[in-house]
Amino acid sequence: MDFSISKQEEAFRQELRTWLEENLPEGWLQGNRELPEDKADYAVFLRKWQNTLYEGGWGAISWPKEYGGREATLMEEIIFYQEMVRVQAPPLINYIGIHMVGPTLIQSGTDEQKEKFINKIITGEEVWCQGYSEPNAGSDLAAIQTSAEKKGDQWLINGQKVWTSFGHLADKCFLLARTSTHPEKKHRGITAFLLDMNQSGVETKPITQMDGQQEFNEVYLTDAVAYDADIVGELDKGWRVMIALMLHERTGIGAELFTLEKRFDDMVAAIKDYQINGRPVMDDPSVRQKLASFYARFRGSLLNYYRNLTSTLKNGHPGPESSIDKLAVSELTKEMAGFMMSLQGHRGMLWKEDAPIDPVWQDEYLFSFGQTIGGGTSEVQRNTIGERVLGLPKDMGR
Amino acid sequence: MDFALNEDQEMFRSYLRKYLDKVGQTKVAREFIKGNTNEFTVVMNGLAELGATAINIPEENEGLGLGAVDLVPVFEEMGRVVLPGIYLETMAFAVPLLEKYGTEEQKAKYLPDIAAGNKQLSLAWLEPVKDYSLDQIECAVKEEGETLVINGVKELVPDADFADAFIVVVRNSNDGLSLILVDRDDELSIRPQKCMDESRHLGEITFDEWAVPKSQLLGSWNQGVNLLEEGILYLNAGLSSLLVGGMEKVVGMATEYANIREQFGQPIGRFQAIKHTIVDMKMDLEMARSLSYYASWTLEEMDAEKQKAAVYSARAFATEAFIRLASENIQIHGGIGFTEEIDCHLFLKRARFYEHYLGSVRDYNELLASALGWNKNETSKNMKAEKVVHGQ
Repeated sequence: MDFSISKQEEAFRQELRTWLEENLPEGWLQGNRELPEDKADYAVFLRKWQNTLYEGGWGAISWPKEYGGREATLMEEIIFYQEMVRVQAPPLINYIGIHMVGPTLIQSGTDEQKEKFINKIITGEEVWCQGYSEPNAGSDLAAIQTSAEKKGDQWLINGQKVWTSFGHLADKCFLLARTSTHPEKKHRGITAFLLDMNQSGVETKPITQMDGQQEFNEVYLTDAVAYDADIVGELDKGWRVMIALMLHERTGIGAELFTLEKRFDDMVAAIKDYQINGRPVMDDPSVRQKLASFYARFRGSLLNYYRNLTSTLKNGHPGPESSIDKLAVSELTKEMAGFMMSLQGHRGMLWKEDAPIDPVWQDEYLFSFGQTIGGGTSEVQRNTIGERVLGLPKDMGR
Repeated sequence: MDFALNEDQEMFRSYLRKYLDKVGQTKVAREFIKGNTNEFTVVMNGLAELGATAINIPEENEGLGLGAVDLVPVFEEMGRVVLPGIYLETMAFAVPLLEKYGTEEQKAKYLPDIAAGNKQLSLAWLEPVKDYSLDQIECAVKEEGETLVINGVKELVPDADFADAFIVVVRNSNDGLSLILVDRDDELSIRPQKCMDESRHLGEITFDEWAVPKSQLLGSWNQGVNLLEEGILYLNAGLSSLLVGGMEKVVGMATEYANIREQFGQPIGRFQAIKHTIVDMKMDLEMARSLSYYASWTLEEMDAEKQKAAVYSARAFATEAFIRLASENIQIHGGIGFTEEIDCHLFLKRARFYEHYLGSVRDYNELLASALGWNKNETSKNMKAEKVVHGQ
């Protein structure tokens, strides 16, 4: 066992820290982390941040050097996340482009696709979203009905996508559409398209989430156009491409675990300062008991992530154990946020600037419900762990 | 980043598992329950031959000179088969304390014998109707010339009937606590106490003007609190691994059963109610394993505060989780799980055995809170009363 990091890795961390100090948006490190409220300004702000990262050589650190990356090792990528969480850096607007689409195209895109898309991803010029889920195809993704039909040299795409994160800000979409039907194996006959969002056949409608934010979208496709050149991999074999694309996410849920760690520390700090009826809540033994049990669970989750990471480093790729990390971090985040709500008692219902401790807990609480659903629900994660880690029989219907 | 047992440790684990499989896994515990301790003795000798009893004993005392993490596979494998005995108390409490605080004479007297598998030590701490709070220790020691004379009663002493020596927590005339090594003696009054986990024996020892040579004082006078605090760090790190071993076996049992047992024309593991329960068990197991590995690792790599946070959190989490897993395992097995025929009950009873051993989950959570500085400004009386172990 060895938790130390090498001299090179430490140098990497220092280089990044220095760079962040010089390049984070004005006032950010001092605590002014407000993002623009206006949607257009918000997008401009985050695209600019992506471009700043790119110019500093931090735009897509795990990519090959020839595409603007720095061929970072897995450990360097972990350090990158730790540092980004430490300074609470602005969110990555082009997460899908950097972590999924870019690496997939670098690995298996055509020369033309590489030429056309890759540089624009890393610079933030083009923001990507993914078009997977549909109203009747969430956890059962292979049930998608959006169709792509060939008319002349065009593919005409019709249907509806939903839960498309950043869809309203995106220029491009990595889209799954049905190109033929295979009644027995419904995941066959799906093709992956690189779709232009800036066309008349694509209409996005933001969905207001329960936390008041609008990150998700419904995307309506009415004779949206794509060409053969926009197909990734082979016709009807998009399922395979999608699976490969998910595997490009080398570090899995790491950033969320580091965020959870920070949340826990913030939670303890907040509780230390918080009083009810003039008495510090930390004096309440039941509060300490609860905190202690959260401590064990978040440390356990983090250490477990390190143990899984160790096997990723040895095997060169993550295994199904990453579902354990996803399940742990999302469920724990929800519980911790729920505890912070309860702790504030009747005043816990006060929101935004009236929140008794910090509105972050109320926001976190509401947002946490999305975390146990998005990216595969907790139930789907449990199926994956049950079947692929423990070897239990496949779920009914599959 | 390399957070895993190394190849040697995993290889040693596979030897141990092979051996314990060969002797019938829980058969040893089952024979022990019936009163036949023979097989247990044979197995302990077998494990000693494999080197399990020499691991963390210094080379100059005829041990292997390895560390706390090297004990992890042994504890896990013993936990898997609910092995009886006081290997934990011996290797993870007595040995580290003897090594660090023992006189040369004491080391020579105990360590080579422990390494060879000829001696095992137990821990006499609790007193009747008391908890583990150190201010409740009444068992007294007085100096009379070259001897120490002990008076008092200790209860719930693990395997008091076959321990070769006891580390006894006593109060001396200066009102400080000290630890005394008391060798087994047929004259010593030991009353067996019935234990729900029949694979463990417990005993009540009455010391009535019991004299031992002065040389049996472990560490110096009044050093007992520090020694105990240090000792229970080692012990609880080891205990966490024992619990993990039990948990791993229980998850394995539930998984296997869910794969073969059919109802409604399906293996029951296909039903999400069962599948998801087993997955939640697996989640707890992996958390506990990571916490326990880390706890053992900190003992030689980190400072005391980090050790405490790591060990107490591992201990508290694993104790609760093992009870939960052992309970679910019975439920998943259905009717047969409720019987003595299969092993489910052995694990549940063992889990409950450790629930309050050397402190409860609640106590360890409080200790964790202290270690993390969550109650630094704490002044209320209420709290002080709850502090256990440090309570002196």
